[in-house]
Amino acid sequence: MAISLQKGGNLSLSKTDPDLRAVLVGLGWAARTSEGVDFDLDASLFMVGANGKVRGDADFIFYNQLKSGCGSIEHTGDNKTGEGEGDDEALKITLAGVPQDIERLVVAVTIHDAAARRQNFGMVQDAFIRIVNLDTDAEIVRFDLSEDYSTETAMIFAEIYRHKGEWKFKAVGQGYADGLGALAIQYGVDVA
Amino acid sequence: MAISLQKGGNVNLSKEAPGLKKVVIGLGWDPRASDGAAFDLDGSAFLQKADGKVRGDSDFIFYNNLKSTDGSVIHAGDNTTGGGDGDDEKLTIDLAAVPAEIDKVSFCVTIHEAEQRKQNFGMVAKAYIRCLNGDGNAELARYDLSEDGSTETAMIFGELYRAGSEWKFRAIGQGFKGGLGPLARSFGVNA
Repeated sequence: MAISLQKGGNLSLSKTDPDLRAVLVGLGWAARTSEGVDFDLDASLFMVGANGKVRGDADFIFYNQLKSGCGSIEHTGDNKTGEGEGDDEALKITLAGVPQDIERLVVAVTIHDAAARRQNFGMVQDAFIRIVNLDTDAEIVRFDLSEDYSTETAMIFAEIYRHKGEWKFKAVGQGYADGLGALAIQYGVDVA
Repeated sequence: MAISLQKGGNVNLSKEAPGLKKVVIGLGWDPRASDGAAFDLDGSAFLQKADGKVRGDSDFIFYNNLKSTDGSVIHAGDNTTGGGDGDDEKLTIDLAAVPAEIDKVSFCVTIHEAEQRKQNFGMVAKAYIRCLNGDGNAELARYDLSEDGSTETAMIFGELYRAGSEWKFRAIGQGFKGGLGPLARSFGVNA
């Protein structure tokens, strides 16, 4: 049965599911019901080393770069409206394949074209992130974002990280007003 | 050798550092990179009699009361963002100067306005509290607040207590609900 985390909380994936080999990180949100342009939320993942940065642009997995160089991380593709039950976008991760010098997998969600569409997270409903055991389909942990993010347009949803030989999950839910570009720069991606 | 403490862990400082005279409690964290109110962590100390209570409010050392009356405990000042390298807040304890009727000094860390700002230790990057030998700065014990304090907003890190003629340190790592005010009152302070 999935454990529900609160913001700031963390959980050992390795302890909760000792046979864990691969995970599906599922992100979902409610499609827009009010008038206006669709909410196009984009999931992305930064493969981050001990210095808090990516090794290179290939470590930034998003709708224009669906697979990591090592092949251990795969983005399942862009969902532009939030339509559909369950996960709207997903990332598949084979844990043993994550390079040893990568310490954290930072999962981010951003709103596409937020500035032009005048959208922010405060307007998005029912956003969640969940981790599923890819082999058994069992949901391990879930984090529901129920707060109003008002001016933010980019957010670190969660982190999957190594800690003392285990894989752990941390519920973050912290936003950035300056969008995916600013977030990417913070992690060392060359966004020129 | 630094001991990384889990919740409830225990360290006999006198064994780790025989002849301990000065202790420094260091508190550090990274400034907030994401949007929202800054993370303002506050270190504090409570000088207690044998009954676990302060003699008076002046035994509560914190950002608004930086020095104990006898000078045995000194707080180096409030850091409201976590900016700067190394320890962001420091409490220095001169063991020989602690009055005879004081049996114990407890060390705590709280998040300023945690409830209003909706913050907890897990949201803060690289937050820790540690205990150093004041002579030579060898780290004796450390608690990883970001990782192990996660959903807490206040924590009793540990206590220095008399054992005969020696001082020992007991790591507590216990969360406390309610913030600095209620925490201080639990030690007998009129907050």
